[in-house]
Amino acid sequence: MKTIHARMRIGPAACSLAVLILAACGGGSGNTGAGLGSGDLLVGVLAPFSGVDANLGPAYYAACLAAAPSINNNGGVGGRNVKCQQFDTRGEPADAAPAANQMVASNSNLMAVVGCTSDEASAVAPIVNGAHIPMFCMTGQSEFNKTKLPYFHRLVPADIYDAYAMVGWALYGPSPAPFHKAALVFGDDIGSQAFVDPATNAFTKLGGQVKNFPIKLGASSYRTEVTQVIQYQPDVIFTEAIGSAGTFLGEFKTLNGGKMIPIIGTSATIDPEWFAAVKGAIGADDIVKYYGGVDLGYTFSGPAYTEFLTNLNAAASTFPQAPKYKQRGSTLHLYDGIVMSALAMVATNSKDPKVYNPKIKEIANGTSGATEVHTYKEGLDALKAGKSIRFVGAGGANTFDQYNNSVSGYILVKYNAAGDEVKVQDLTTAQTEKISQAGGI
Amino acid sequence: MSIFAAAFGFGLVSMSVIALAAVGFTMQFGITNMINLAYGQVMIASAYVAYYLNRAGVTIWAGMIAGAVFGAFFSFLLNRFVYAPFQRKGTSLLGMVIVSLAVSLMIANLLLPIVGYFSVSYEEHGGSLVRIGDVVLTNNQIAIIVLSVALMLGIHALLRYTRLGKAMRATAANPTLARNCGIPTQRVIDMVWLITGALCGVAGVVAALNSDSFAIANGAGFLITALAAAVVGGAGQPYGAMIGAVVIGLVTELSAAAWSPEYKEVVAFGILVLVMVLRPQGLLAKRGALAAAG
Repeated sequence: MKTIHARMRIGPAACSLAVLILAACGGGSGNTGAGLGSGDLLVGVLAPFSGVDANLGPAYYAACLAAAPSINNNGGVGGRNVKCQQFDTRGEPADAAPAANQMVASNSNLMAVVGCTSDEASAVAPIVNGAHIPMFCMTGQSEFNKTKLPYFHRLVPADIYDAYAMVGWALYGPSPAPFHKAALVFGDDIGSQAFVDPATNAFTKLGGQVKNFPIKLGASSYRTEVTQVIQYQPDVIFTEAIGSAGTFLGEFKTLNGGKMIPIIGTSATIDPEWFAAVKGAIGADDIVKYYGGVDLGYTFSGPAYTEFLTNLNAAASTFPQAPKYKQRGSTLHLYDGIVMSALAMVATNSKDPKVYNPKIKEIANGTSGATEVHTYKEGLDALKAGKSIRFVGAGGANTFDQYNNSVSGYILVKYNAAGDEVKVQDLTTAQTEKISQAGGI
Repeated sequence: MSIFAAAFGFGLVSMSVIALAAVGFTMQFGITNMINLAYGQVMIASAYVAYYLNRAGVTIWAGMIAGAVFGAFFSFLLNRFVYAPFQRKGTSLLGMVIVSLAVSLMIANLLLPIVGYFSVSYEEHGGSLVRIGDVVLTNNQIAIIVLSVALMLGIHALLRYTRLGKAMRATAANPTLARNCGIPTQRVIDMVWLITGALCGVAGVVAALNSDSFAIANGAGFLITALAAAVVGGAGQPYGAMIGAVVIGLVTELSAAAWSPEYKEVVAFGILVLVMVLRPQGLLAKRGALAAAG
């Protein structure tokens, strides 16, 4: 009995000592946590892996597969390895909500959630937020422009900015721009139609004509819709039409006597699957010649991107399609989001999301005198040295506003024949402001 | 160009594709009493068989034959090893629907890692345009219409003028009586699955060819359209399915021209609901090819 009592007295002391040691190991500024815990950590990839938007989930899963070794090869998060798991929303809110509930209910080790596209963000964001899990969502929906969900983070601009950037292409892009008459071809769902009003407002107020031709995504044919577009005689098509672009544009080319007209796509069309589908339908020559897209200004270079690319290529052993996403903006951003979450945990020495969630924003935006870091290892070293950090990752610098929305400048791009993004020019601040004012933002 | 004339032309193509799918689907139900919800997945699987052959250099028309052969044997095996054992155990019609739904999900999920989730296209695109007044069709679309009409006539001839067709009708009307009269109903049912499976395969390839790109996710859409045409025409009635295909195909495209493409499915399925309310047995329920003689 004496021995037991002695152990009982020694136990709390040993625990206190362990906590102190762990806290010391965590280092860094703002270290207010109570330990990083043990066992694997999980990143939930909550996105469509089946259904019409099934091409979205794999891009996000690839991001996680690239981020995990970046963290795990450098000691993990306080020794905890990061794992990735898919949670299929099927792109439908009705399927997404149960998937999100199942994810948070059965995984107490969730450190972050990535994905949550416009298909399901409205349904799943409140669930994930209620579970106090930081999330990085790939939605441009305007309802999140001033969201009150503190665990919600958005590293891509709202759809309205994509719409304005497309107008920028049409007005200020290289020849044959400027265009004067645009056909808008987007899905007839609420998420896709979010592009329509801002593009219409901005383009018409700046002298253009525009008409909306909503299409039912996933249909097997759009010939009547295509005929209506041809009768309108646009000189450019604004589109996204994920999952249906190949069919629509292929039929357009056929019914237009084998001739394409310029196409301007949203940032979501910078996607290997979108490229492959459209290339199959209209041919590589036409997509190179007629396609223009808008994207955030990625450099695809530097230490952060190099590590991202190395890990992405290595992920091919478990997910053969991973390397295809080397220039996919959302893959870059979600990779950064996961690394920032891990760094926030280390910085606060806490596995409690309530503690490390606010730190994510601080690490992204940086504070005065913060050391700029580009990889998890650089961040870890700086935190151990007691420095505050600003993470500038594979997707570039982030600046979160008070609603955890991060917005950066746009570039105008095209595809080469291999499907790689090629920068054409920047959209200047003055041009962006002019379009935004015309659009009413 | 008149948008209505153009839409009428597109409607002809749509109804041809739908007819191929719907007739096979409704014959399966009419003769074997099986609502096969895996039909759309067999269609898309056949489309991929043709796709891989096409990618290997085989013409799409030869690929279509391969798709038909695949559809025939896959459907035959599906019935022999999955559906028939359940039916022999006396599983109810609703139970069989659930079984076919499960099979549908299994096929889709087995196909997904093989074919991927992304859209693909056949190498052979539409070909040159043919203009007949304001109706604009491609060579391939005209070929699809001709093929569909030929196969529909073939189905009509099979059911009306051949011993097998008469045996099918007898089996559909009363399988026990047919068996007692010496008709080898099991062999007839095998033939039904082979024939309707081939139709299913052809329909899958034709639907994929008609669409400039297709993906695994399209399987569900194929089923819904075939199901709608079959129900409008009268479940189990091949001629009804043909009429249902005409209604769904033409109305869908013409309503898109008249109002907005956003409403074309609303209009098509509105007609389906209307038929269900006014004539629940479908348009041709009592006068179809599979109805009892006399």
